[in-house]
Order: sequence, then structure tokens, then C-alpha cells
Amino acid sequence: MEPILKFDRVSKHYPNGVHALKEVSLEVTEGEFISVIGPSGSGKSTLLRAINRLIPISGGTVWLDGQTVSNQHGKGLREQRRKVGMIFQNYNLVYSLSVLQNVLHGRLGYMNGFQGVFGLYREKDKREALDLLKELGLEQFSYNRASDLSGGQKQRVGIARAIMQNPKLLLCDEPIASLDPSSAKTIMELLRDMTQKRNIACIVNLHQLDVALKYSTRIIGLSKGEIVFDGTPAQLNDEMIEKIYGTSRENLMIGGNDDDKADTADCA
Amino acid sequence: MTKRIPLIARDLKQLYTVFLIVAIVLFAVCSYLTNFNVMTLIANGDAFWEFITEDFLPPALPKSSRIPGILSSVLVTLALAMSATTIAAILAFFVSLFGSEKVSPFPKAAKFVRGFATFLRNIPALVWAFILFSSLGIGTGVGFVALCITSFAFMVRAFVETMEDVSQDCVESLQAVGATFPQRVSQAILPSCLSGFLSWFLYCVEINIRASTIVGMVGGGGVGLTLFSYIKGFQYDIALSIILLIAVMVIVVDQVTGKLRKEILK
Ligand SMILES: Nc1ncnc2c1ncn2[C@@H]1O[C@H](COP(=O)(O)OP(=O)(O)OP(=O)(O)O)[C@@H](O)[C@H]1O
Ligand SMILES: [Mg+2]
Repeated sequence: MEPILKFDRVSKHYPNGVHALKEVSLEVTEGEFISVIGPSGSGKSTLLRAINRLIPISGGTVWLDGQTVSNQHGKGLREQRRKVGMIFQNYNLVYSLSVLQNVLHGRLGYMNGFQGVFGLYREKDKREALDLLKELGLEQFSYNRASDLSGGQKQRVGIARAIMQNPKLLLCDEPIASLDPSSAKTIMELLRDMTQKRNIACIVNLHQLDVALKYSTRIIGLSKGEIVFDGTPAQLNDEMIEKIYGTSRENLMIGGNDDDKADTADCA
Repeated sequence: MTKRIPLIARDLKQLYTVFLIVAIVLFAVCSYLTNFNVMTLIANGDAFWEFITEDFLPPALPKSSRIPGILSSVLVTLALAMSATTIAAILAFFVSLFGSEKVSPFPKAAKFVRGFATFLRNIPALVWAFILFSSLGIGTGVGFVALCITSFAFMVRAFVETMEDVSQDCVESLQAVGATFPQRVSQAILPSCLSGFLSWFLYCVEINIRASTIVGMVGGGGVGLTLFSYIKGFQYDIALSIILLIAVMVIVVDQVTGKLRKEILK
């Protein structure tokens, strides 16, 4: 099967000299649910943003749906971007607008400048947005300001906006990092179910190892800008975890270890 | 024998002392350079008081035939301030989009836009008025342009700062859906910053009410010019009435815009 996404030796140097991605190569096919794990600063966010060129890369090539992204500009770039839905840790909604308006933003990539500027969405799109909100259990909030929602609800609006794009690929940068455990569970289940139903490939940056193990079909471990693990959850053994995080599994569990507690007490 | 316990840190106390000494020295030097002497003020105090009590007080009403003219000149001043601020705000909005690195499609040029605005702003409206009067002649239109230039420059800076304060997250997310620059502006920046923009606009109206009175005095028309003509005609008591009228106008406008701003920022 044709890969949806292909990285060929992609590198990223930030202007301040940080080498965030070092010759990363990978392929993603339809229907995959991939978790990217790795310690803070390992380049997870950079990897995700390189896909739709929110960050320009410094070397290598990114293919999306059979076309290169790295040399696109203007219209071509926007057409590539609309194939990729994105979900953010901080939801990134326009809080002064209604929930429905935020969901409809997902259609902007398909509209001409004039219609988009004045928010003249098609009736068909509006109906689809309302249906989507219903599916996510948010229909009664359709006309509330986005700022009135709780964190978990805001993230569901973020999902709806991404799905409205009718994407081939969904990117999620720490989608549950600002949520409580029960909202986090809802969001992860929604992400898995909605992408499976629509056959959308999904890449999720995660800090929670257990969540990654539970939901993914494939896990990619990043360390210092390099892929050090790429396999199924079952293949992710303790040795691999130590290679990714540079510390043993027990140390990753909060409060799991007595020495850890002593350490945090010292820091406080 | 007990040592007194200090209330503030020693070095902070020293800092205050140094500041006080510097302030006194500066005052002395400046008084010497400008030949200003507190004593002259006290010595000439009588003349000054005489002027105030004899010439200015009590305020007198002008001839009743003149009153409608004066009131309409107040309206001219208000209209001048409002229209100049409005036009300046619209222009400033479009220019400010290019003055913020995070928003502008040409981030490298943002510094120059801001620099240009800062340059314009640092020349007071009164100076602009004089420059324009000497090249274009006096009149309300020229006063309008002078006010426009300064409030435009001021609002460009204020709008850029408003946009930088508002989180850029939503702009990023619209970039990710493939929205064009005008779409990002109208769908993310404008809704998030509108209340901030309006608040700065109202603040600018407040400032321009005062500025348009002064620009009027040097030839821009309106109540400023009326006031100036009475002062030149030595009719100080009538001038005082007009000054009181101006004060009332400024206070009313301040109250209204202040209320509105509070409403908007809620
Ligand atoms: N805009 C930037 N300019 C310069 N350096 C950056 C920039 N963004 C990220 N970096 C650097 O690039 C490296 C990778 O950052 P990235 O944000 O991709 O890490 P991450 O894995 O997402 O971390 P976290 O889990 O904390 O979100 C880090 O060393 C970071 O300091
Ligand atoms: Mg990150």
C-alpha cells in the first residue's frame, strides 16, 4: 500500500544551533495509530510540525499523499495542509467565537479567500459540523463561546475541527497533557474510534507510556532527535524503554520509587 | 544600648538617598541654566494674582448671538477628533498586521513597520500641525491630517502589542487547516483582538479630544481657534467661560469612553 506519509532523512536545525531532528526516516500507512514517545526536548513536537511545514525543515524530504511538502508554497502548501488535521495541547481555539464557528474553521482550507474571510460557509458544511458536534456530545454547546467550555470539551471541539477538514492524517501534539485522567480517557477513545471509522492515519505525541501502550498499533521512540525504537507495543520491552528515556521504567512512574520521593523532597 | 532596627534593607536606603541627592542637584543645575527662580514667582505673585482675579474672574458669557457659533465650534472639535481617530484606526489596523513578526506574512519587514510608526509617533501632533499649516495653509482639513498621523502611529504600536499579547496558538491552528492570510486575520486575529483594539481606539479618542483643541488653536479650527481669538482680543473673562466649556467637554468624553472601555473589556 502507498504510504500516506514518508520522511526521508529529514533534519531540522533551529537557528539557535539546536539539532532537533537528525536524519529521521519513517513511513506511515492508512489506518495506523502511532504514538510518538520520548523525553522532553527529544523533538516530538518538531517532528509533528515538520509534516505540515508549520516548521520548515533544513534537510531531507517529506512526502504527503504522494507529493512532497518541503518545496510547496502558497496554494500548493495550503492544499497539502488541509489534508492534515491537527490537535494541540492547548486546544488552540478562537475563544471569542462560537463552538460551531470553531468547528467550521476546519473548512477554511477548501474555501476561496472571500468566502473564508466573511465566514460564508455552505449549508452542507454547517449541517456536517452540527452532526459532528452531536457525535461528540457537544450539540447543546454549539452556540456557546468556546471560552465557556471545560478542557475536555475544548479538546473535543479541536477534534471536530480537525475531522471537518476531511483529513487523510491526524496529528496530535500531547492532546491529553492538560486534562484530568477521565477526560483524557474520553479523548483518547474518541481519537481512536473516529480515526478508525474514517480510516484516517493518526500520529499522537504522548508523555504517558501506559496510554501509548494501550491505544497504539505502533510506537515510535525518539531520543535526542533520532528514532531509537519503531515497533508494536508488544515489542516495547524494558530495555527499549530505558534506551528511549535514558532511565528505567520504574523511574518513569510518579511516586513509584522511594528514591524518587527522596529526590523530589530534596528539590522542593 | 540597643541599635535601632532598620525597616528596609540598607542598600535600598542608600539607593533612595542617592536618588534624592541626584534630584536636588539636577533641580539646582536646571534652575541655573534656565534662569528660573522660585523667588521671581513669589515676588511677581501679586501681578499674577491680579491677572487671575481681575482679568479672568468672574467668567463672563459672550454676546448671546455668539453662543450658537461657540457651541458649534465645540462640535467641530469633537467631530475632528472622532473622524481623525476613526480613519487612523482603520489604517492602523491594516498596517499593524505587518508590524508583528508572529502575524505578518513578511516577518522580516515587521521591524521596519514598527520603527516607522515609532518615528511618526515621537513627533507631537502640534509639530505636525505647524509643518502642515506652513505647507498647506490653515484649516480644519489640515488639523485632521495632523491628528491622523499621530494617532495612526500610536495605534499601530498599540495594535501590534495587542496582537502579540493575544496567544498566537489560534493563528497556528488556522495555519494548520490551510487558511490564507486574510482568512487567518478575519477568523482568528480580529475576533480575539477586537475588544483590545476598541479599547485602544477609545483611549485614542480621549487623547485626541485634547489634542484637537490645541491643534485648533494654532489654526485647525474648532473651539481651540475660538478660544484663541478671545485671548488675542484680551476678552479673558469670556475666554475663561470657553475654557470651562472645554473642561466640561473633555470630562464628559472621558467619562463616556471610560465607561465604554470597561464594558468592552468585561
Ligand atoms: N522555536 C525553537 N527555536 C529554537 N529551538 C527550539 C525551538 N523549538 C524547539 N526547540 C528545541 O528543539 C528541541 C526539540 O524540541 P521539541 O519541542 O520538538 O521537543 P519535544 O519532544 O516536543 O519536547 P516536549 O515533550 O517538552 O514537548 C529542544 O531542544 C528545543 O529546545
Ligand atoms: Mg512538545
